[in-house]
Amino acid sequence: MQKREPVIFQIGWNACINCGACVAVCPQGAGFISAFDTIAVNRPCDIACMMCEDICPVTTISHQHLSELNGKKEVIEWLQAQHTK
Amino acid sequence: MHKTHIPVFDIVVIGSGPAGATTARIAAQKGLKVLLVDKRQELGAPIQCSGAVSRHALEELGITPSEEFIHEDIYGFSIYNQQGDKTEIDYQRIKPDEYGKGEGKKPLGYVVDRRRFDRYLMAQAERAGTEVWLKTEGLGYQPLEDGTCEVHLRRFNQEITVKSKVLVGADGLQSQVGKWAGLRTHIKLSELASCLQFIVDKVETDGLLEIVTGHQWAPGGYAWVFPKGHGYAEIGLGVIRTMTDQNAQWYLDQFIQKSFFKERFKDCRILEIQGGGVPLAHPLKKQYADNLILVGDAARHVNPITGGGIHTALSGGRIAGTFLSSFLKNGKKPTAKNLKGYQDQWLEELGNKMWKLYDEKTNIFRTKDIARQDEQLYNTMSSYFSPDSEYKKI
Ligand SMILES: Cc1cc2nc3c(=O)[nH]c(=O)nc-3n(C[C@H](O)[C@H](O)[C@H](O)COP(=O)(O)OP(=O)(O)OC[C@H]3O[C@@H](n4cnc5c(N)ncnc54)[C@H](O)[C@@H]3O)c2cc1C
Ligand code: SF4
Ligand code: SF4
Repeated sequence: MQKREPVIFQIGWNACINCGACVAVCPQGAGFISAFDTIAVNRPCDIACMMCEDICPVTTISHQHLSELNGKKEVIEWLQAQHTK
Repeated sequence: MHKTHIPVFDIVVIGSGPAGATTARIAAQKGLKVLLVDKRQELGAPIQCSGAVSRHALEELGITPSEEFIHEDIYGFSIYNQQGDKTEIDYQRIKPDEYGKGEGKKPLGYVVDRRRFDRYLMAQAERAGTEVWLKTEGLGYQPLEDGTCEVHLRRFNQEITVKSKVLVGADGLQSQVGKWAGLRTHIKLSELASCLQFIVDKVETDGLLEIVTGHQWAPGGYAWVFPKGHGYAEIGLGVIRTMTDQNAQWYLDQFIQKSFFKERFKDCRILEIQGGGVPLAHPLKKQYADNLILVGDAARHVNPITGGGIHTALSGGRIAGTFLSSFLKNGKKPTAKNLKGYQDQWLEELGNKMWKLYDEKTNIFRTKDIARQDEQLYNTMSSYFSPDSEYKKI
């Protein structure tokens, strides 16, 4: 299978109803979640199956490819640092 | 290094929904030392449930129906096909001596307020002797050499470790506890209904749970109109996203504006917005690991035809609490091998029937011809809720 390019997710919190459906379909291991019952938004996802985006009842998840963030390495490092806090 | 005193429990339950609170209550009633934790500040909120539950489900667990959590009494069902033809199953008509509003008669079920219902169930667990910590998130667990396990928690920002013989994952749809033990818990996109519902004013209801089938309104799932007490109603639906390009929100708008109910809905005002995912899946094939069992939505204990999960969460909690108390009293080691007994017990009492329902559901949606599929779903729903259904009690 072709390896997909890692993505970083953004959640439109204004529409999110904190329902956890995106987490329930997500094949990532334990802990790939945010404090608001959504999939993680502070780390890249290397599986990139996009099922989380599909299941969302209000379609409020979007993504950027990691390569699009090139040159913004510090952004990702900053995001990851938030996670370990 | 100085180690502070580590609290020790017989069981620690993560998640105080119907499954976790019931497991905790039953285990505490039977004499176990139980800790029940939930990360929320108010149980049941934000609501991700329509709250329909049978009277039988409550009675079975010794839960007295109370105004504290009941929005409205329910007396039966109306099942609609895509065009709006219906099969009405009103128990006030079918068994007028037993069901109704009058003296000595009773309802078939209820629509409950999950905020109040979950709080009530937690209070009952606490009264039975369970220690309850809110604002406490489960972070992970670690089986130990001595046969117990450490459970890592965060309570109001403070990291706390407790010791327990068994950890119960009752952490609902977005469950992480199973993943901690490496269990494969994620649900297929084709088996998780994406749901949205509005609590509305100005839509009349009549004590019946109305279920609307049809690919046009809710592909892979169904739409519903439930009475919600105080003159309010609940309009919602669930769709399977592998069967359509549109999301649940789009379908709900269509259903309200274009369906055969559009006249009935034309003045409706939205009072609350809720939603979530409903597994129309089979129960997890493995619901246990060393020092660990799963119950309720976390184990995908949901009726795959109706999507109902309150009754199965309550029953699963009863089975888990009862099993663990005799298991631990017999001094058995909580290894994965020994805890398999819980799943066996669960399958015997409940699970085998749920597998059968899953097969029935799978058969319906395997039908390629959409009109045939719709017809099958309508017929299955209609017979499911009829008085002589073999599945009446789940
Ligand atoms: C839109 C919708 C409508 C529904 N309608 C109905 C219906 O009408 N009738 C019906 O029977 N079923 C219905 N269901 C299904 C039903 O809501 C669930 O099956 C039921 O809530 C499962 O109960 P539970 O105890 O397993 O999990 P939950 O009720 O989800 O409880 C899990 C608890 O765990 C807590 N938790 C999660 N993670 C952690 C953690 N790491 N640490 C601490 N706590 C944690 C959560 O805060 C939560 O309180 C509906 C579901 C949806 C989405
Ligand atoms: S893309 Fe797939 S693996 Fe990545 S977060 Fe979404 S559901 Fe999980
Ligand atoms: S599925 Fe959508 S609405 Fe639900 S928690 Fe995830 S992002 Fe929020």
